[in-house]
Amino acid sequence: MTILHGLLVDLEPFVPAFHQEKMHAYWNNESRLWATMGDCEPTTRAQIARIHEERSGARERGYTGVHFMMRARDGNIIGSIGLNWVDYWNRTAWLGAWIGEKDYWGGGHGTDALLLAVDYAFRWLDMRRLCLGTMDINERAQRNVEKAGFRFETRERKAALVNGRWIDALNYGLLRDDWPGREALVEQLGLREKAERRYGKGD
Amino acid sequence: MIEGKLVDLVPFEDDFAIHMETWMNEEAWFRARLWERREPHTEDDVKKFIEKMEKSERGALIGFQSKDGDPIGGVIFDHEWQRVRKADAMFFAGDTRYEGTDEHLDGLLMLLRYCFETRNLHRLDASALAFDEVRIDLLRRAGFVHEGTLRQHIRYDGDYVDVELFGILDEDWPGYEQKVAGLDLQPSGIEPKPKPEKKDDKETEAGEAKS
Repeated sequence: MTILHGLLVDLEPFVPAFHQEKMHAYWNNESRLWATMGDCEPTTRAQIARIHEERSGARERGYTGVHFMMRARDGNIIGSIGLNWVDYWNRTAWLGAWIGEKDYWGGGHGTDALLLAVDYAFRWLDMRRLCLGTMDINERAQRNVEKAGFRFETRERKAALVNGRWIDALNYGLLRDDWPGREALVEQLGLREKAERRYGKGD
Repeated sequence: MIEGKLVDLVPFEDDFAIHMETWMNEEAWFRARLWERREPHTEDDVKKFIEKMEKSERGALIGFQSKDGDPIGGVIFDHEWQRVRKADAMFFAGDTRYEGTDEHLDGLLMLLRYCFETRNLHRLDASALAFDEVRIDLLRRAGFVHEGTLRQHIRYDGDYVDVELFGILDEDWPGYEQKVAGLDLQPSGIEPKPKPEKKDDKETEAGEAKS
């Protein structure tokens, strides 16, 4: 099973269209700033192709990250989510998500994807702790991760530079022992209702 | 060489490398590099680590020694993020007799001096296992600010322990001279260790004896 089925999104293996088209769009729109702690330099297709090529050899060089493409229930590719560094020794991993399409911000897509990724990390990768970092100006992300059970742990002062301003970086942590399970959170957060409102009754 | 009050920063060359196989298998090393697997470091591992740091474009391993020239340990800045001018700060007293001494503290101060006053960094991150009081005390005395706790973040001796996260900004750093003036650093008086025979020398001698 390498496709994780959610209510608003599925997490799937990347397809060539993601790297050829979507990545170029996401790396040059506003979403990049939010997903990367303020990076925003214009990036060409050729640069994207080189970055993709370099990344595709990372596993052989010891990279342990696991990444999924995010596809909304209407079939559109909308972003990616993954574990940026899986530390099998300490059983800790860092989560990161990037929704490149503004129309899909809010409405539960990010939360649904996060619950799938957390569930996968605990149940398949046997992690016992997950970390997630964001910026203090990203209130949407803070709300989402807190709803999913993450607890605020550290505030790194002026650890990011966004549009000329120093921004604090926040870290959140989630212990497996505190995780009520995906089903419980799907109920609690009303994700089925959210999915129905946006996409109608499905299968 | 960059001269400090009790220690000097020097290139991490043979005088230091010769001790590294011992140092990298000591408890102090694993407390400084707290995320590392608790596995034996062979001669080859040690060589590769030094080489990796030497070639790194985002970090460096620098030796620090007493005023007698006794190699104490290393200071490391790593994962330098150029756009934000931040890096991870790490330091270890390989020679554990110096653990918690003012020489150990001065090694850390010299790292801050180098990072802020020469490399023009804006922020340094550091971390310590929650029970590592010596390291936490050194970080605080150097001016690091506690910024939170990563719960049960690191596997340690049959358990998972918290990690204390620290940060220091250029605006927190008064400058090396002023910092040292406020600290009254005192030398520990530890006797320099005898210089070990170099492995290369032994091999050369053996080679010469044969011929």
